[in-house]
Amino acid sequence: MSILNNEKLLDRLASEYALGTLKGGARRRFESQLPHSLLLRRAVAEWQDRLTPMAQFAPRAQPSAQVWQNLVRELKLQQVGERRATPRNWKSSLAFWRGLGLVSTALATLLVAVLVTKQVGPAAPPPSYIAMLADDQSTPIAFVTGNPHQHRMTVKLVAHQNVANDKSLELWAVPKQGAPRSLGLLASDGSITLPLPDNATPQEFGLLAVSLEPKGGSPKADGPTGPIIFKGAWVQV
Amino acid sequence: MHHALTDPTSFFQTDVDLSNLEPQQLKIWLADVARKDADAFRLLYDATSSKLFGFALRILTKRESAEEVLQESFVSIWNNAASYQAGLAAPMTWMTTIVRNKAFDLLRRVDHTVEIDADNFDKDVMDALEAADPTPIAALQLTQDSRALAGCMSRLEGLHRQAIAMAFYHDMSHSEVADHMKLPIGTVKTWIRRGLERLRVCLNKLEGA
Repeated sequence: MSILNNEKLLDRLASEYALGTLKGGARRRFESQLPHSLLLRRAVAEWQDRLTPMAQFAPRAQPSAQVWQNLVRELKLQQVGERRATPRNWKSSLAFWRGLGLVSTALATLLVAVLVTKQVGPAAPPPSYIAMLADDQSTPIAFVTGNPHQHRMTVKLVAHQNVANDKSLELWAVPKQGAPRSLGLLASDGSITLPLPDNATPQEFGLLAVSLEPKGGSPKADGPTGPIIFKGAWVQV
Repeated sequence: MHHALTDPTSFFQTDVDLSNLEPQQLKIWLADVARKDADAFRLLYDATSSKLFGFALRILTKRESAEEVLQESFVSIWNNAASYQAGLAAPMTWMTTIVRNKAFDLLRRVDHTVEIDADNFDKDVMDALEAADPTPIAALQLTQDSRALAGCMSRLEGLHRQAIAMAFYHDMSHSEVADHMKLPIGTVKTWIRRGLERLRVCLNKLEGA
């Protein structure tokens, strides 16, 4: 029997895996299932998040300066800038998402080609904008279509997301410059239709991203507070 | 809130500025490190190395071994930052797990048995957890996550807590914990399971609060 069908067992094994008491063959069998199941990886990550802070019960200790010098040598690190006086804010991570957006453009373009080929005969005006949102492992999670004539967009989740009761998924349009704009909250599966703001065009916003937020959405007006869990390029058909 | 003790986090508050360990900041640095930004790597190292080294030192007890593991771990962080999934685990969890695995690997490799000072370390920490006076636990400079865990662990029965901490810090199986505590394996298994379940319920409650 696969443990994937038994939620309770799955969770218990994940907890013992994270704690470390799962050993030997049972551990290897469990590990061999990990790459195949997001559910399993998520259960493990949740237990690791719960238990790993135990590491901090050990008091801090200062390693010798030699460790950093060894790292610089071994990894051939070249520090270009001066040490930055102020930590960079989340906007620098925005640059990172934008970089990733380029990668997913290829995926979306492929999808456009498929869609356009399938559009035969006169029908309702086809969606003009689309995005395929994928997670860090390029697994497609959601498919977004926007119809500017009807001022509507539809978000269809192709993979069910387990969202805790106290969390919400929030969709963002990420502009080429400036703060992301919230487009609304998503259901954990199925389809949802949201209003499409007039200026939410691929020309203005090259990337759509979904973040995990407290229930009801980000408490901040100008951007997400939680991690980006999937994203993709927003392109015009 | 009628009483400070009803909120497990409230009496572990510290004045120490832990802003460098803010998950959001660490995520940004990790994203930069994934793009081979050496400056971000340095900032990440400065913010986390003393915590991670302290942990490695607790497992390995020898500075030399702990420094070797810390170095190996940061090589791995540099090489694998791109595979860190921000949507899954917290950044500190990801990095700590790397250190933990490498520390246990080294123990197996050199095949030396570390003197398990469960009687000292675990007791020190556990006494701190049990103490009504917040000073000992504040001295550990815990982040929000670990304060919450400390609060929830302090509510477990002493032996359940000890079994869990021992397994975590010393890479022990159920039977090894049982040997060390001189208890039947079935008892230890049940305690650990029950303890983990209680921790989950307690932490979920705090998160929802």
